[in-house]
Amino acid sequence: MRMKKSAVVVATAALFTLAACGGGSGNDAKVNATNNGKGGAAGSFKDPSAKGPLAVPSDASQGGTLTVMTAVAPSTLDPTQAYYTDSTAILSDLVLRSLTQYAYNPKTDDMQLVPDMATDLGQHNADNTEWTFTLKDGLKYEDGTPVKAEDVAYAVKRSFAIAELPDGPTYNTTFFLDGDKYKGPFKDKGAYAGVSVSGNAVTIKMRRPFADMDYYASFPQFTAIPEAKDNAATYGRHPLATGPYKFVSYKPQQELTLTKNTNWDPSTDPGRIQAVDGWDFKFSQDTAKLENLIINDNGSAQTTLTYDNVSASSYKQIASDKARLVQGTQPCTFMWYLDMRKITDVNVRRAIGYAYPYQSAWKAGGEIVGVTRVPGTSILPPGTAGRKEYDALGIKGENTDPAKAKELLKKAGYAPGQYELKFLFASDDDQAVATKNEVVKGLTAAGFKATPIASTVATIRTDRTDYNSPINIRSSGWCSDWPSGGSWFPAQWAGSLVGTEGMPNIANFKEADMDAEQNRILDKLSPADAVNAWGQFDETMEKKYYPAVNIGYGGVAMIHGSKVGGMADDNVRGMPTFARMYITK
Amino acid sequence: MRLTRRHHAAHEPASTRKVTMGISPTELNSSDVHEDTQPELVKKKIAGRSPTQIALDRLKKDKIAMTCTVIVLLFIAIAIFAPLLTDLFGVKLRAGDPIHDTDQFNFPAFGPPDHGFTMKAPFGIAPNTGDDNLAEWFYGARTSLAVATIATVISTLIGIVMGLVAGFSKGVGDKVITFVLDVFLSLPFLIVALALAPIITSRFGDKPDQLEFWQFVALLSALSFFGWMTLARLVRGEVLSLREREFVQAARVIGVPTRRILFKELLPNLIAPIIVSISLGLPAYVTAEAGLAYLGIGVVGVPSWGQTINKAVPFFDTYPLYLYAPVLGILVLVVALNLLGDAVRDAFDPKTRR
Repeated sequence: MRMKKSAVVVATAALFTLAACGGGSGNDAKVNATNNGKGGAAGSFKDPSAKGPLAVPSDASQGGTLTVMTAVAPSTLDPTQAYYTDSTAILSDLVLRSLTQYAYNPKTDDMQLVPDMATDLGQHNADNTEWTFTLKDGLKYEDGTPVKAEDVAYAVKRSFAIAELPDGPTYNTTFFLDGDKYKGPFKDKGAYAGVSVSGNAVTIKMRRPFADMDYYASFPQFTAIPEAKDNAATYGRHPLATGPYKFVSYKPQQELTLTKNTNWDPSTDPGRIQAVDGWDFKFSQDTAKLENLIINDNGSAQTTLTYDNVSASSYKQIASDKARLVQGTQPCTFMWYLDMRKITDVNVRRAIGYAYPYQSAWKAGGEIVGVTRVPGTSILPPGTAGRKEYDALGIKGENTDPAKAKELLKKAGYAPGQYELKFLFASDDDQAVATKNEVVKGLTAAGFKATPIASTVATIRTDRTDYNSPINIRSSGWCSDWPSGGSWFPAQWAGSLVGTEGMPNIANFKEADMDAEQNRILDKLSPADAVNAWGQFDETMEKKYYPAVNIGYGGVAMIHGSKVGGMADDNVRGMPTFARMYITK
Repeated sequence: MRLTRRHHAAHEPASTRKVTMGISPTELNSSDVHEDTQPELVKKKIAGRSPTQIALDRLKKDKIAMTCTVIVLLFIAIAIFAPLLTDLFGVKLRAGDPIHDTDQFNFPAFGPPDHGFTMKAPFGIAPNTGDDNLAEWFYGARTSLAVATIATVISTLIGIVMGLVAGFSKGVGDKVITFVLDVFLSLPFLIVALALAPIITSRFGDKPDQLEFWQFVALLSALSFFGWMTLARLVRGEVLSLREREFVQAARVIGVPTRRILFKELLPNLIAPIIVSISLGLPAYVTAEAGLAYLGIGVVGVPSWGQTINKAVPFFDTYPLYLYAPVLGILVLVVALNLLGDAVRDAFDPKTRR
């Protein structure tokens, strides 16, 4: 999934040029490790039997308006186009119901996949090529008209209209029947064979096994859209609500106001409550201003929250008031992808892992170690099903070891200062420049010759995906679309992706044995076995080839006013759990 | 004093009296002759001072101007001796170690805001990176003044030449230059500067050693190419009125080359507006450099007050010193330069003479 816009635009530096630190292996004992270690067994991530209504907590008062302030702004709120973490969270948690949904489980402090408009998490045939979702009775739109299975089928068809509605997830084109041919209901007036409706049930046919369809069905792409009321250009200005809140007004890039949808029936919904009267989202706000407002906690600020990560300057002020700080993880791993075509010696690649100045690069870039950036080991982030914890270099993802790097370089036959590493940084971003300085220091101390190449915030993404670029290291990251290795390795580490447009396989990783293993997991294993096999694949790849330096997992640290209740970290998206929030008494 | 004056009189007849007035040679000669007939004492009193001397005398008596001069000289000294000063204070530029110099909140592990004053870092260290603020400040003064001075010199030269040529050449030359001038006046400076920066970065991004030089050149070009128009207009207007004066006519009649007329006959009469333009341009460039650095345009990796302010703004509440040091630097320097500029203008302005 794409990170919210801030991460893409503002933190291009942080995200894509992340370089890190240096020098010593200093490990500050005071750094408070966050609760980032909950990778569970696959089963605990789903609860097909969850039933509504969700109990409203006893300390919740009825009424009031929650205000959400953020420095970023969703680029679109059209259900088909929503793919950023903020737009999907706002739509799925408050406005639109999908076939399935993620619901926060306070007992495990984790998100669970539960049914939403469907009665369960979908029924599938033996080889996962046909999925059927049956809709609950009594579902209504905000105008009181009933939700029909045809509307869900139409929404699925609509998600193929990439030309009219770009930027959404594209798993449907990869997995659904005729996904490569069908162009959506606006261009293709005919029927689409992939989706069929019978009574209250929607059946989706696949062209290859798709075991993760239940996860995918939680995206806003699988909501209900009445065809008669659709207009590709304007539907995103006011999508018809099926969830507890409906649009009152929406000024793109500025403000979104929601009010109670009286046609939402809590007894059908196991994941949402409707305690407050309305929501007021204020976009494109000044970070320093909104943080000060919330920290000072006066008047309406008590019912105000933000989903932006707290800045280093404000974190210190709020750290003493832990009750108003929500910390957690987001399923994102930041990596330094080592170009396998250029850095061919595994010893050199490992030396880079030892040389990378993790802590000083994070700190110089304004990340709070252990809070907004968590030292990473496995490529799969905590919270992913089947994740196997291992430590390929034995440095716990944060203890730089220049001596070991020098030793490995010597073993590979390079004198100090001989091996040149080239990487990009955004020269118009202070924090990216500061990070770059630390990385250069660290790499130089470990016997490398570091050559940072200047780029800009606006162009660094295209520069990074240029196969002819002189760089041999690329800084980027990946976030889960759903908590399974299946949304990680086939998307970034398949040899067949080398050379394709957009450079999805950033490390140019193409090894026959690893590709064979991926195919075995995809084609031969049952979904339950595959989940654990991905964890093993992760370990084998990093230990044998070390194609990427893990430069930390994304952390979440959001602040809120003292009367905001029920706010936790939705660790699937790294967003607040809007669906169950309220104003305290 | 007298020697200088005679020198002036011999070569630059026009400058012997009010600069902006432009006295014709005949007038001048007669007055000189007249002066010669007067007693020695009176002659000294009346004729002993050129306009520049008068202005300097007035400046010397202006306490504000003198204070500002001292302040500006102090900043210039800081800029020139930045490396020595950092050694003197025992600080180093860009030598922070985030792991040991900052705590778990990325705040300084010693010095303000949480710990007492320490000579290890008199201005404290930067959060996140741990770089020393004082060293950054010294070198920031150097960047500010270097950029402002060079940009002022370049834009003044361009402005003078364009103004002189436009004002003196009749017809096509004037029209062409006026048109160019109008084009530059209508271009939005900030947008051009914003557009220039990524072009330079993408052109020289893979050559780190050249990048810094070309970014510097781009910054100076942006500032200078957008800073010459006002002066050029001013000079052109003056030249338009001066060139019809008798002393210019006379020079033409006796066959003085155009270049000589421009630089020896006209230019000396323009000293006042040029000095005023320089003195007001300098502070404007200091501010512009800081503003551009704040926007991320400028020389990457070179310390600059604007960049420090950009980094320090989020800490205005929690670590005010970090923000105040560069802000005060800019404030004091710009106010001093501005007041000095005003004083210079007043000193040169004939209307304020008693």
